[in-house]
Amino acid sequence: MTPCVEDLEVGTELPALVKHPTQVTLFRYSAVTWNGHRIHYDRDYAGTEGYPNVLVQGHLHGAYLTQMLLDWIGPGGMLQRLAWSNRRPAYAADTLYCRGRIARLYEANGQHLADCEIWDENQAGEICARGTATVALRSRA
Amino acid sequence: MRLQGGAIDEPLITESANALVGVETETYLGEIRLRDCQRYAIAVGDLNPLYFDEDYARTSAYGGVVAPPNMLTAIRGWGAGARDDDLAIDGVVDLPEEKLPIRLKRRMAGGQDLQFHAPVRPGDRITRRGGIVSLEEHAGQSGTFVIMLREDRYYNEREELLVTCRETVLVR
Repeated sequence: MTPCVEDLEVGTELPALVKHPTQVTLFRYSAVTWNGHRIHYDRDYAGTEGYPNVLVQGHLHGAYLTQMLLDWIGPGGMLQRLAWSNRRPAYAADTLYCRGRIARLYEANGQHLADCEIWDENQAGEICARGTATVALRSRA
Repeated sequence: MRLQGGAIDEPLITESANALVGVETETYLGEIRLRDCQRYAIAVGDLNPLYFDEDYARTSAYGGVVAPPNMLTAIRGWGAGARDDDLAIDGVVDLPEEKLPIRLKRRMAGGQDLQFHAPVRPGDRITRRGGIVSLEEHAGQSGTFVIMLREDRYYNEREELLVTCRETVLVR
């Protein structure tokens, strides 16, 4: 179900999405994006760059935040903008909690829009990526 | 001239690197295939029916099955790719349009700012136009690094603008 703007307010939290990227996840994401960077699938090599394990791809953080937003907005919503920056590495076997909250509700060009703050954090509560998104939603009116 | 600690007293961002700022290139990326969209979604672990179920997707605001919104801008290479011998030690290949004539080589994805103007659909034939917007030198705890900002715009075969991507890359 797509949320209606009438049921939302600034500060409303988005339903969280929990992700468990494994080594297999990271290998397959590298493969499907034709990304040869060894820090994502070669743990020994990642160690030479000072990392304790293979790293979650920066774009996979973006993909997880996209998934959270599209799960929330449902079939009647559309994602118009997604911006995020990677703040600290996440690693294979981490748990990532993707979260968000509504920062602004407004109308523009005849659409009902919501700006959201979005982020993902690891099992220690450390933020790995954060940013903003704009989604178009339904109205009962 | 060598400074203490072995740093070289020359600008990190060379003149030839600066000359690339503002230069636009155009690349034909190819046709988007349903299977590739679905493989991307599967790899992410995102089973939204918007990517798999035409009946569902047709009645959605997207009007049909689409590519996951950030797929185009997450794919690192669109051609046949580099041979093993042409990869750098870290497994990365310097794409011709991203080759930077500076002495730092390691890259880190900083993030993206994506505007979705229209959905990307299977069958779309995509052309990308864009280039480096800025190169900035920064001093960090582990030495100086460069922040490269790129902007790329993705069009379909009808010249409809689908996605604008501003991407930040750390080079260190």
